[in-house]
Amino acid sequence: MTRDEIKDVILEIIEDIDEDAEFDGLDADKPLRDQLDLDSMDFLDIVMELRKRYQLQIPEEEYPELATLNSCVNYLEPKLKEA
Amino acid sequence: MAEFQLVIIGAGLSGLAAGIRSARFGQKTLIVEQHTLPGGLNSYYRRQGFLLETGLHAMTNFAPRSEKHAPLNRLFRQLKLSRKSFITREQFGSEIIFPDRSLKFSNDLELLCTEIASSFPACIDSFQALVQEVERYDPFVEASWKSTRQFLQERLSDPLLIDMLLLPLMVYGNAEEHDMDLGQFAIMFRALFLEGFFRPEHTIRELLSMLTSQYEKFEGALRFKAPVTKILRAGGRVAGIRLANGEEITADAVLSTIGIPGTARISGWPLDQKKYIGRMSFMETITMVPHASLDSPRCSQTILFYNHNNVLSYRRPQAPIDASWGVICFPDNFEGLPIDTDVPLQVRITNAANYELWKQAGSSQYRQLKEEAGRKSAEAAGKIIGNYRQDVVYHDSFTPMTIERYTSKLEGAVYGSPIKIKSGATPWENLFIAGTDQGYLGIVGAMLSGVTIVNQHLLG
Repeated sequence: MTRDEIKDVILEIIEDIDEDAEFDGLDADKPLRDQLDLDSMDFLDIVMELRKRYQLQIPEEEYPELATLNSCVNYLEPKLKEA
Repeated sequence: MAEFQLVIIGAGLSGLAAGIRSARFGQKTLIVEQHTLPGGLNSYYRRQGFLLETGLHAMTNFAPRSEKHAPLNRLFRQLKLSRKSFITREQFGSEIIFPDRSLKFSNDLELLCTEIASSFPACIDSFQALVQEVERYDPFVEASWKSTRQFLQERLSDPLLIDMLLLPLMVYGNAEEHDMDLGQFAIMFRALFLEGFFRPEHTIRELLSMLTSQYEKFEGALRFKAPVTKILRAGGRVAGIRLANGEEITADAVLSTIGIPGTARISGWPLDQKKYIGRMSFMETITMVPHASLDSPRCSQTILFYNHNNVLSYRRPQAPIDASWGVICFPDNFEGLPIDTDVPLQVRITNAANYELWKQAGSSQYRQLKEEAGRKSAEAAGKIIGNYRQDVVYHDSFTPMTIERYTSKLEGAVYGSPIKIKSGATPWENLFIAGTDQGYLGIVGAMLSGVTIVNQHLLG
């Protein structure tokens, strides 16, 4: 997957988790959590959804890598290269 | 390999929510339910053309869609249900009625503050400080038991105000007698006073069917009429379940929603079961009454919490029921529900009941006891909303025996064990409990309990 495709996947997962998610004006370098008003339970769902779709195991200590949209892409790019 | 990754015992609200969470991420999940219908304590039945709910007065934890972190909205996201299409009907307003004072409250905290300012002017500042303290309090961290009564005495100087505030909080969720754990108090205070009462657009039936369809959409399996007689063990772990028909089902993990003592009984969990059986049970009377017979202005409110004494006696009564205090609920009195004055109005009355005395009664005596208790209950309620007994068109009641028979609540203790296990853990690393005995309360709470336990332990 390309970086843009990964970005789309993340946004699609978030949209799927939260029907009220608003992406207008989203800053890819700022925490998703604050901008989209998500909580830790929502974050768990992003992780679980990635696992379900791509059999990706993300250990808990690496959750902080998913903080911003750009950090998600950086973190997932090598893992989803073949996907 | 086990047949299922997760087997859940009980298709009540916590079991269904746990099932949805587990199945949503592709785990092979089975829910087994002893009855023919889902819902557990919150189910329904039909009589004479009426659909009657067994448990639901109102749902607590009301929150508008915009409050994303409110329990109700988090729950919907976790279950992947659309909050947008879930229509909520808020309460008209409720009232706590004691002999000398009364306090109205609604889903706007301002009303309760105004009422306290006018009836207990010396206490309003400390009440507002209390609200802030409860908002900051985190009831979900493991903490040792703390006395709510002592906490309130230190903050509100008036014993009458304390008992008035405690009545709705206790009767809608407290498994202990007289006092309650501070964590449980904080959960209830938020659920009732800070968030508030509402109903779903339709009945519990549609809510349950929304949950079962969601579960089935994620390919979860659900079996009714499948009582579990044993939780099977092998090598220090739980290996599956055995059903009453002898069938054995293997599982990687088991989640039990049938309470601590019930789970202990079928798993061989060595604990003093008596300590985990709550003493508070209730008799619930449902009557259908023509609108014209209910002309007191109080009948246009939603829920009335009454006490004919100035001191609250929240304990198992000495008699079959204690009608001196209780709840009068009008489930039709919520915003936006259709009003049809040709259809009689439902009045539900809840009173504390003594399980032992109901159990001791033989079958002929039981019926008589039920009639007497129903009369006492209606008389006591009549003092609040005017006499309506002679006009009742339909009448039914549940006793602690009914509750014990149709739900897994031993001794009819609707709020389960006075001792909760917040972590959901048992002596076996792959057996967990969720639901009432895990410590969350109410319909939203029960569902969050199922969600939380699956998130913490079972999404591996």
